[in-house]
Amino acid sequence: MIVKDVVSDVLLGMAVLVVAGASLGVLLMRDAYQKLHFVTPAALAAPALVALAVLVQAGWYENTGETFLALVIMAAAGPFVSHATVRAIRIREKGDWRLQRINGPSGRAPRGARER
Amino acid sequence: MVMGFVAAAIAMLAAIIPAAIVLCRADVGGSVVAYEFITSVIVIVLALLAQGFQRSGLFELPVLLAVLMYGSSLVFVRAMERWL
Repeated sequence: MIVKDVVSDVLLGMAVLVVAGASLGVLLMRDAYQKLHFVTPAALAAPALVALAVLVQAGWYENTGETFLALVIMAAAGPFVSHATVRAIRIREKGDWRLQRINGPSGRAPRGARER
Repeated sequence: MVMGFVAAAIAMLAAIIPAAIVLCRADVGGSVVAYEFITSVIVIVLALLAQGFQRSGLFELPVLLAVLMYGSSLVFVRAMERWL
């Protein structure tokens, strides 16, 4: 019983440290691209540690399954959200997400340009 | 009540204060990133509180918020891309 408590407390402490460090990273980084790197630890590593802590504390139980379900949803959704966020920020800044515009001002691709 | 889980939830709520500062003070892109960060942490906090207070019914809230976080973030960044 005591071993379970100690292990779950250690896992929870690691999760809190991950979130605190990532939060400081979000605060201290210069622009949104750099800040976005610190969302992943809080969206993936910390939930995994918390799910492990719940597993250690409660064992394989309905609650543990739902915690892991939330973890799986966050792990699956995270890359899509990050990509969409970077794309939106770049479009706001540059007008287009690509390095160079393929289409000219008329909206047509210039002769010889490859379609991507 | 499991004290370790409740204490971790409180510590995580305190840990999102720097991200909340970014949410309030940064430009739109930085604010969106801070919003995604805070939403992710709130999912964890809900799971911690559910385990801390030993309420099985409350474990549905983090699952729901994780799903809603995905949809709302995509809608929000699309709106930021076009209109904000």
